[in-house]
Amino acid sequence: MSKDVYILGIESSCDETAAAVVKNGREVLSNIISSQIVIHRKFGGVVPEIASRKHIENVMPVIDAALQEAKVGLEDIDAVAVTYGPGLVGALLVGLSAAKSLAWASNKPLIGVNHLEGHVFANFLADPELEPPFMALVVSGGHTALLKVTGYNSFELLGQTRDDAAGEAFDKIARIMGLPYPGGPEIEKLALDGNPLAINFPVAKLDAPYEFSFSGVKSAVINYVHNQQQAKREINRADVAASFQHAVVDALVQKAVHALQETGLKKIVLAGGVSANKTLQNTLAEAVEKVGAQLVHPTPILCTDNAVMVACRGYFMYQAGMRSPLDLNAVPSLKLG
Amino acid sequence: MLTLAIDTATKVCSVALCRDQEILAEYNISMGMTHSEGLLPQLEQLLQRTKITKEEIELIAVSMGPGSFTGLRIGLATAEAMAYTWKCPLHGVNTLRALAYNLPLEDLVFSPVLDAQKGNYYQALYQWQDGQLVELAPLQVVSKAELVERIKALGQKALILGECRKLAALELPAAIRLAPQALVMPKASSVALLAQQEFNPEADKKIFGLEPYYVRKSEAEELWEKRQKQQ
Repeated sequence: MSKDVYILGIESSCDETAAAVVKNGREVLSNIISSQIVIHRKFGGVVPEIASRKHIENVMPVIDAALQEAKVGLEDIDAVAVTYGPGLVGALLVGLSAAKSLAWASNKPLIGVNHLEGHVFANFLADPELEPPFMALVVSGGHTALLKVTGYNSFELLGQTRDDAAGEAFDKIARIMGLPYPGGPEIEKLALDGNPLAINFPVAKLDAPYEFSFSGVKSAVINYVHNQQQAKREINRADVAASFQHAVVDALVQKAVHALQETGLKKIVLAGGVSANKTLQNTLAEAVEKVGAQLVHPTPILCTDNAVMVACRGYFMYQAGMRSPLDLNAVPSLKLG
Repeated sequence: MLTLAIDTATKVCSVALCRDQEILAEYNISMGMTHSEGLLPQLEQLLQRTKITKEEIELIAVSMGPGSFTGLRIGLATAEAMAYTWKCPLHGVNTLRALAYNLPLEDLVFSPVLDAQKGNYYQALYQWQDGQLVELAPLQVVSKAELVERIKALGQKALILGECRKLAALELPAAIRLAPQALVMPKASSVALLAQQEFNPEADKKIFGLEPYYVRKSEAEELWEKRQKQQ
């Protein structure tokens, strides 16, 4: 029998300080997340300097809590996995510095993890049978992309957004409508009482089969809201939210289904903060079923930023012998694929 | 006490090993590289060259600011993680105070200064008296002109240390001089010496969750507070 592998994961790329211990890549022993959402709310979005200050305050307490909850000591850990990008540079540097120092001080290997790959790997914890190859639809505040996962450590980027990320559009529309940060979940809540077909917000049709564009639909919603306000007409906020959400989800689903048909892959996973959106989950699940494929999405706690996904990604890199040097730096605009 | 010290408050990345008052090794680099890349390899080299093992280290000393916010956090996160791993005490020191340890000479006023952005400086005034560093004036955020006035007000010969290159262009009175290049910037050995003096096993029980001396709030908070006051 091969020895069990314990990975400590650390994540601080945006506004959550998180640490987790994962056994053999699939078993979550602890998952500690210290969220800063309430702190950033009064500013209407994440303030990088404030995020970094909260990270340094929380990073070691969160790591300590993750080890304690997992009932393991640092000596039991096989490797330290940490997000080194993409994200806010000052925020990334806190988790990265702590992780590098922990690894060095305890003579353990260091594994730098791409945050976006981490989101994809959260699905290995949702579906124990998940194995490459499969398709991944990455939808977050910073990214919208279709990724072909050809192996545990090989990815092929099929296409991504040309302008705004889907999550970014959600946040901007929420702000226009005076909803609190983070706007995505607020739009979703508001949309529950609205008619998704009430207003037609067109999404740009692109020639490239796997690329996205959301700046057009974002502008269409902003213009609609402004025009109604100028004409002093009452806005049905729920209808605006539902129709906007419908437009975005529709575009995502169409491209994802097309990608499955073209590649013949039978599984697709959702990854990134927007993967928590129930309308997206349900619509995509139905649509992919029609083409004989199956949707996997993470549990709600693993949809948003967490360190379990970092530890899980780190596990597969560890098994492949991948290690990072001690001069590893944060890469704020680290790419997928 | 065998002390491992880190200073990343400015563009200098400095690490040192000291045993009591003796400086065993110090490694300073000022090439404008990020501390994130350089700090761990520098620490690794320090131990390799001195043949001192990680287990031997008895105290970790770190420069807590004021200084570059990001630099301070890199140093502190690194120091806290080492203290946690080795179950070793950690002591943070004031970066301005540590600068005065670069040159423990009596009969002079020391004015360490660090860049506080937007043409401002963090400044405090000290003097060595009977082997002790005495604070003559507390830390303040001041303009260039205010910085010089605060020194002049003491009416003594003074030396400016720290991030004072831009002050060289000022016409300073003859009694005020800039420290020589070799001693002007933060040194981890000074951080170690100061930490050993200040360290108190009873008071220094906390080895993580410490806060750097930011002095200033984030810009977003300052703006937000200004707006609240206007309303």
